[in-house]
Amino acid sequence: MRALAVAALALLALLAACASVEPGNPPLARYSPDAGYRFDRLQAPAGADRLFVIVTFSGGGTRAAALAFGVLEALRDTTLELDGRKTRLLDEVDVISSISGGSFPAAYYALRGEATFAEFPGKFLYRPIQSELVSLALSPASWPRLAAAAYGRSDLAASFYDREVFGGATYADVIARDRRPFVILNATDMSTGRPFPFIQDRFDLICSDLAGVKLARAAAASSAFPGGLTALTFWNYAGGCGYRQPAWVALAMQDPPAQLNARRTAEAEARLSLAAPGPARPYLHLTDGGVSDNLGLRGPLEAIVSVDSPWSVLRRINQGRVERLVVIAVNAATRPETKRDASADVPGLVDTVTAAATVPLDNYSFDTVELLDRIAAEYRSDARAVAACNRLSAARGAQCALNLPAPNAVELYPVQVAFEFLPDRAERDWALDVPTSLELPRAAVDRLRLLGRKLLAQDPQFRRLLGELHGCLPAAGSGC
Amino acid sequence: MEYVVVRYPTRRLVTIDDEQNGNTNEVLRVDAGTHVFALGGPANYRPAQRTVAVADTSPLEPLEVRFSPKKGA
Repeated sequence: MRALAVAALALLALLAACASVEPGNPPLARYSPDAGYRFDRLQAPAGADRLFVIVTFSGGGTRAAALAFGVLEALRDTTLELDGRKTRLLDEVDVISSISGGSFPAAYYALRGEATFAEFPGKFLYRPIQSELVSLALSPASWPRLAAAAYGRSDLAASFYDREVFGGATYADVIARDRRPFVILNATDMSTGRPFPFIQDRFDLICSDLAGVKLARAAAASSAFPGGLTALTFWNYAGGCGYRQPAWVALAMQDPPAQLNARRTAEAEARLSLAAPGPARPYLHLTDGGVSDNLGLRGPLEAIVSVDSPWSVLRRINQGRVERLVVIAVNAATRPETKRDASADVPGLVDTVTAAATVPLDNYSFDTVELLDRIAAEYRSDARAVAACNRLSAARGAQCALNLPAPNAVELYPVQVAFEFLPDRAERDWALDVPTSLELPRAAVDRLRLLGRKLLAQDPQFRRLLGELHGCLPAAGSGC
Repeated sequence: MEYVVVRYPTRRLVTIDDEQNGNTNEVLRVDAGTHVFALGGPANYRPAQRTVAVADTSPLEPLEVRFSPKKGA
């Protein structure tokens, strides 16, 4: 018996050694800033930026996916008037940034567009994905691959998503659609702790062609929940494609550290570390996007306040192309009930480690939402301050009029979809206690979809937008 | 956010760090840090570019970056 077990282990080790692990991301032959999945390359009608809409989907497993899907449905059903024509708000969405569970509806919409509404619930939301992944991992057929050092449970999950959800699609299929929204799935670079967005600008750094990356692999990296799932390995081919960093990177590196703009310098350092030839880091290990930003909001905020972002909204604002900027943050964060404080017992190791892992992330998410509000306030106040100054000076007589130039005025609408805003206590308590899992009962999924619509409809900033643009979001199943 | 006005006698495109960013004589928003300012279109102005550290500005007191036409332009 013992000999049989030894023989089986030896065979498994042999199979593992033979199991070749192919890179999930191909090299880029030649860097070209005019090719690949980039915001500026996507077709958009003239004036498309005047109403600029960014939607972010947080992490949170199927709970997050269902809430995000409910918001997508609501955006599809929301109509408004732009330049005298009626349009759907969904068709005005320019960017979707997603994390973890939220990355599944985001990626599916990037690939399938309108068909998402008919297909995604059956492909993902109603499926017991978690049970299917566990069965797959426990199947002896998976063991040789799982025994290989460069192959983990997330690789297995990626192959499952590829087969069962995304039908073998790659980013080349998304690029071929050639239309907004620009969908950004976010993972986390495990070594630097920084977000790793799946866009060509980031893959340029590692001289890899995003067009050849499977959507399933991007979704798997974005949702590689630490512990349950493993990080995914990506090959770094830096130095092999003639890549040139944008001009701002060298400028940021010349700035005295932490004196002018520490955030900008840190981002420049991260870019240089990824692109260091050799490459200095031959492999990247990407884990759940929620480790660095569980809302998917940091990248969009960067784009709103920085001219350095590869899809800078600020550049468009400076060019006078943006009049209204809508940021819809869909946050499926929960606050599971705990009985910890009902007892004098010292909390156990698992409880303590879980709190240590999740509390800082929750606090960071809180700060991120606050940052969005602060940025909105800054945009509101800066143009108004100049206008007020001009008004006051002019009131003292034409000879005193200052006529100071003002920055371009932009109306910013920070919309928040989060369970904590549910007015009904029983409904709020229910939503805040939905577990983080890749399978939920169908009734829970349907309820979360409706909550997405409800929370969007009640948000004051969303209502302001609808009021100003003669918009309407009907209740589910009815018309305007 | 920081604020900059690029001064030039006529309306010209402004590039910041090699990217198009609005026009001369308008208040432009940028992030703090060192930036390279230049004008779009023909190179009939001077200097060819200005590298400036932008910090501590306000919408009422934007940093001014000046260019002038080349003699004979």
